[in-house]
Amino acid sequence: MPELKRLPATRIVATPAALDAAKWPDGTLALRLASDELLVTPPVANPALDDPHAIIIADAGYAGVWLPEAEALAFLERACEWELPVQRPAFAQGAVAGIAAKLWFEAGRVLLIVPAPLIADFEERMA
Amino acid sequence: MRLIVDGQPIAFDPGDTLLVAMLRADLHPTGGGCLCLGGDCPHCLATVDGVAYVRTCQVAAKPGQVVERQHQAGYPPLPETHRPGPTVIARNRHCDVVVIGAGEAGRAAAVEAEAAGKQVLVLEAKDGQEVVGIYHGPLVVARTNEGMLHVHAREEVIVATGAAEIQPVAPGSDLAGLVTARAAGQLAAAGIDLGRVVAVGTPPDGVEAAAVEGELVRFEGQGQVEAVVIRGADGREQRVECDTVSLGLGFHPRDALRRMGRDWRVRAVGDAAHESDIPPCPAAGIVCPCSGVSVEDLDFIWAQGFHELELVKRATLAGTGTCQGSVCLPYVRSFLADRGQVLQPPFTARPVTRQLTLGEIAAGAHHQATPRTALDGEHRRLGAQMERIGGWWRPWNYGHVLEEYWAVREAVSIGDVSTLGKMIVSGPDTLELLERLYPTNVATIKPGRSRYVLLLDERGYVLDDGLICKETDTRYTLTFTSGGSSHAEMWVRDWAASWGLDVRLLNQTMTLGAINVTGPLANDLLDRAGLTDRPPYMGYARGVVAGVECQVFRLSFTGELSYELHHPAQDSVRLWRALLELGADLGLKPHGIEALLKLRLEKGHIIVGQDTAFDSTPRRIAHEWAVKLSKPEFVGRQAIIRTNKLPLDKQLVGFEMDGPAPIEGAVIWHNGQFAGHVTSSTWSPVLGQAVMLGWLYFFDGELPAVVTIDNRPARRVETPFYDKEARHARA
Repeated sequence: MPELKRLPATRIVATPAALDAAKWPDGTLALRLASDELLVTPPVANPALDDPHAIIIADAGYAGVWLPEAEALAFLERACEWELPVQRPAFAQGAVAGIAAKLWFEAGRVLLIVPAPLIADFEERMA
Repeated sequence: MRLIVDGQPIAFDPGDTLLVAMLRADLHPTGGGCLCLGGDCPHCLATVDGVAYVRTCQVAAKPGQVVERQHQAGYPPLPETHRPGPTVIARNRHCDVVVIGAGEAGRAAAVEAEAAGKQVLVLEAKDGQEVVGIYHGPLVVARTNEGMLHVHAREEVIVATGAAEIQPVAPGSDLAGLVTARAAGQLAAAGIDLGRVVAVGTPPDGVEAAAVEGELVRFEGQGQVEAVVIRGADGREQRVECDTVSLGLGFHPRDALRRMGRDWRVRAVGDAAHESDIPPCPAAGIVCPCSGVSVEDLDFIWAQGFHELELVKRATLAGTGTCQGSVCLPYVRSFLADRGQVLQPPFTARPVTRQLTLGEIAAGAHHQATPRTALDGEHRRLGAQMERIGGWWRPWNYGHVLEEYWAVREAVSIGDVSTLGKMIVSGPDTLELLERLYPTNVATIKPGRSRYVLLLDERGYVLDDGLICKETDTRYTLTFTSGGSSHAEMWVRDWAASWGLDVRLLNQTMTLGAINVTGPLANDLLDRAGLTDRPPYMGYARGVVAGVECQVFRLSFTGELSYELHHPAQDSVRLWRALLELGADLGLKPHGIEALLKLRLEKGHIIVGQDTAFDSTPRRIAHEWAVKLSKPEFVGRQAIIRTNKLPLDKQLVGFEMDGPAPIEGAVIWHNGQFAGHVTSSTWSPVLGQAVMLGWLYFFDGELPAVVTIDNRPARRVETPFYDKEARHARA
């Protein structure tokens, strides 16, 4: 059974314009959770943002697991009532097996992210 | 090949349905009733491999199948097992157009949609995709051999389910040997010997039958039909002996799915879209075999004044049973048209059209997940009794509630308070937002200080409570109750957006763990953990505790010297274990919620949601000190000014009494009159008596000084009950 691990990240809340303009190092995944919120993993130190009031915190409040695309889609077919994106890469958010989840689709693999306090429930529902 | 019916093996031929196999063995699944072989009637139901209400005409016979016949007059027994049934999965599919039914009309609709470039999914019951309901969306739910299929239609659903044959309603319609015309043809084709067949109405194809014309009067026989009686045009009855009666009485659309989806993008095509044939109004007999509704019952209801189809359905339950009106609907319409001279449209239909197992109903559904703190495993390892409290799994106690309690009062203890809501607010309009939201003077909070605050709604009622902690002029941390934090977050976000304020909001409840270090030896423990520069009472600072970076809040819910250590959740276990180890010789024991509730009640601290009601104003809970009406504006201010002019009718007050603590919710009496109820109650070890909070009504403008609770006298007292001068908390 796939095991979810806490996802070391940086969480940022800032103006949408500042987030739009920000640049991230190669190899980082910057997931736009909301127009004013980003989850960047792995964590980035002192990100340059054009917003003096931005909130930037180290965060491990989410947990995630990478799954091969076929395995992920087989699970999502029974766990996800909403329509998944078909283009790659793609980011989507919604209820998965009744739990608020975030999905990052790449060619060949999918990152499933859920709130860390719900790891046990999510793993049970994936089984 | 054989299967088992009522404990006896019977042979069947390849390709047989269960029904055909049983009829081959001269067994009627329900003992009698007109068979349709179309899945429409309730007369071929049986329990198959433990699943009741299976339509045997729709299920292929398999070797070893265990069938228990389900007599039409009774209900199948409940399964005598405590084991849960198999888990049924639900798969989700998405397409533009869903076509239900792969007959001629369904295929044509699918071809047309595909030609228009639509992504089409066709569901056909004969192929193992039996649609049982349409929900908002539209969402089409089908039962398959692999579980449930949930099909989400982007554009429309097309119902092409054809038409059902009209069943007979006449005395004797519960006999065996009655079949619809289509069924007669199918049975003959399957090689079933129908004996002498009499055809009433349209004769069956491929069956040698004696046709009779006239009005159907009754069927005669003992269990098995022996004759049918017809009244001719001249009014004379004709009795025709037979072994089988084939009934070609007309058709009505199988349109229940269209009717249940009528508010959405659902339409019918083909026979399912046709108007129903309306049979003659029956003179006698059972109209609804599922609910046992007779023509006499309909007459009685009509006489009572129920003349509208939907009301007749509810008054008689006709149409609410196994077949969901497939048998009775044409006749009930006919009856009402005869009595009222108006043909009423069919009644509404609601999911589901078939009897499902609980597993099938629950497929794809999930209960509310309950979050666990990062210390969940530590609590369980220490033998904690875990409970769902405030929306989280939390330790109720570790097996020794009094030891936990005394550790707090006399030594030192730690508790997991990670569940508290925690939010950062930042931005140039932060102060304005908080001033408008909270009834306190936020501007007077100094950096590094925090303040207890109430969160009010527009009517001045208490929504939540918590802290405001000031970091800088433009950045604050807010805390909320565990159970109220989600609502509070929405509240703050909604108001910030409504007012168009320039702020950023980040909920860090699951990002941060929090451990409460409390007790007279808390400073000793923190010294050992390396935190020597500690904030003052209601102060706030950053520091390193046992190697873990923490935000340290000094406050007290227990009434003792206390610090909340907010820290990255991934460090919770390390910090918890370090504190346990460092405090072992200080008498440190972790405390659970049970001890915490005792401790806070002794201090008279309220719990929003437990001690407050939907209409609790600060004045009613004696928290007027937390409201600064001198402020020009905050949510709830106008309501508080208005309600302050009214006489106070009830108040949350403290009580103490001798003997054991009454239950929470206990009624409070005054001179034999209802006077309120207890909201929190506990036996106080340190005070040696029961202490309570409760709602108490005013009598003649006064709060009674002595009341009766649990048939014992209780004294109203000022809170807090313990350490009234707060020397312990402020030590």
